[in-house]
This record gives sequence, C-alpha cells and structure tokens, in this order.
Amino acid sequence: MTTNRTQEVLYESEAALRLVDHELNELHDVQEDETQRPVASPPNGVEGLNEIAAVLNRANTQIIAVLARIREGKLAIESTAVGRVKVTQDKLREVTTATEDAAINIMDACDRATTLVDELDSIDAGETVDRVKSAELRGSLRDELFLMMGALQFQDITSQQLAHASSVLDEMEERMFEVAKLFDPSISPELARAEPAVENNSALFDANATMRDSDSRQALADEIFTIVKGQAA
Amino acid sequence: MKFLVVDDSATMRRIVVNSLQRIGFNETVEAADGVEALQKFDQSICFVITDWNMPNMSGTEFAKALRLREDGKNVPVLMVTARSVRDDILVAMEAGVNNYIVKPFTPAVLKEKIDALLPAAA
Repeated sequence: MTTNRTQEVLYESEAALRLVDHELNELHDVQEDETQRPVASPPNGVEGLNEIAAVLNRANTQIIAVLARIREGKLAIESTAVGRVKVTQDKLREVTTATEDAAINIMDACDRATTLVDELDSIDAGETVDRVKSAELRGSLRDELFLMMGALQFQDITSQQLAHASSVLDEMEERMFEVAKLFDPSISPELARAEPAVENNSALFDANATMRDSDSRQALADEIFTIVKGQAA
Repeated sequence: MKFLVVDDSATMRRIVVNSLQRIGFNETVEAADGVEALQKFDQSICFVITDWNMPNMSGTEFAKALRLREDGKNVPVLMVTARSVRDDILVAMEAGVNNYIVKPFTPAVLKEKIDALLPAAA
C-alpha cells in the first residue's frame, strides 16, 4: 500500500468514526430529553432503551479512544513518510547514480587499457622493440587496471545505503502494523509482516554513507586530527 | 612489514590489499570483524588498517581492545570508513586510532597516511 493510499484510508476511517460519534451523541441527547420528563413509573420499553443507550455510550467511548489512537498512528506515519522516506528515496537515487558512475568509470578504464594493449602489440610488431616505451605502456596499463579495482569501492558504500533504506522501510512497516492492529487486534505479526530481507542492525552500516564529496570529507578528517593532536601536544 | 586488514566487506579488503601491494607492501593478513582481528593480531603485525561498521565487534571497539594489549598498544592503526562526521572522527581518535581515511579513498591518500605513520611502525 503506498504512503498516499495509507493516508487516504486513515482519513476515511477517521471520517466514518466521526459520523458514528455524531450519531451516538445525537441518540444520547434524545435519551436525555426523554429521561428528563417526569413519569410515575417507567414502562419496560423505556428501560430497554436506557440500557441500549448505556451500551452505545460505552461503545462511543471506545470508538473515541480508537479514533485517538488512529490519529496518533496517522501522525507517526506522516512523520516517517514525510521525513525519512524522502531521505531514503534520495539515497536510493544516489545508489543508482553511484552504480552508473562506477560502471562508466570501469568501462572508460577498459577502453584505455585496450588502447594500451594495442600500442604494446604495435611495438612488438615493429622491427626493433622499444623496451622503454613498452615498459611505460605496461605501467600505464597497470594503472588503468588498478583504477578499475578502485571504482569497485561503490559496492561497499551502496550496500550501506541500501541497508539504511531497508531499515527505514522496516520501521514504516512496523508502524503500519500497529495501525492495522487497531482494526483487527487478532492480526498475527508473522502473517502481516515479511521477514527482513537484510540484516538491519544499525551497527553494520553508516546511515550517512555516500560516494559524494570524498575530498572535502577527507579534508575535514585531516583538519580534526591535526587540531586535536596539536592540542594534545 | 606485515599489515592486518580488517573489514566485513570482502570487496573492500581486496581493494585495500591490492592498494598496499601497489605501494610495495605485499605481506597482509585479513579479518572480517574485530573479534577475528584480535585473534589474528600478533607481534608480527606492524600496521593495522580497519573499517568501523562491522558485525560482532566494530572497528572502534577493536582499536580500544587492541590498545589494552601489550603487543598492540603502540601499533599504528588507520581507520578506513564511510563515516565522516566530526563526532565520529573524535570517537575514533578516543578509541586509539592514529589516523583516518574516508571512503571512497584513493591510493595516494592511503600511501600518504601510511608514510606518515611508518616511523612508528618501524
């Protein structure tokens, strides 16, 4: 169920409960008017109606309590939906970007490496082998291969971003389950919720993990180390 | 000179080991978390490179435990992690980390940090 649809359901439920509440109040007011009329001895029909009114009053009280809990659940979902889901969506877009950037960097390095291999072939095919040039080309080729390996760091960062996104979804699922229990207290957690797909222990990932701005983040780390060490000296 | 490389990501361990080989350090031992790292650490290890977020025992917990050991109290510890906010960096320093590299890193930064700590390793 999408977040918007969930909110719609909650609004509709709230409107229905308000209508019931209004009807019950009107019924209660009618009963109060009738009981204020002096009667010598109440006929059995009125006694029965008073009993019904008492039951409906109790139901009214319970419905109001449920309404309050639904409002709480709605606010909790709204705060999760508006706040953290947006951040999570941004992180998922970042995962896509990081994956694409890494793929392009690796393909570019492959292209350059292929060119270097072609140049090495040309040298080998020549009458005299320019060993200096070929050594230089092999060095460049190793650099390109190493760049490809370095580009794979995205895997570690994106796995942390996905673990964070998964933990936010788990939290939303839990909140929605609490709201669903208001309508059906017998609902079983095992039936309502799937097992988490990944380990969502927050100790295993950094919620702020990113591929962006590594130079400036490294500069900050260096600055802090320098300042603190200088103070300690 | 033997390095202990600690990271729960096999990809990252391979990248760090490969980077170390590029700059001339070919002797490495690997561990996937702080518990395994403490088991594998011995006097032959001259330098530790560790991640932060790991199962069983984090990088900062590992660094603290290492500093309590007679054979580990002076070994250079370099943290390589995605965490990069100020408070995290201070926590790492308090745990006994000697320097800090932010992921994703370049081989040049790794070499620079290792070179700065090498006299201590020797």
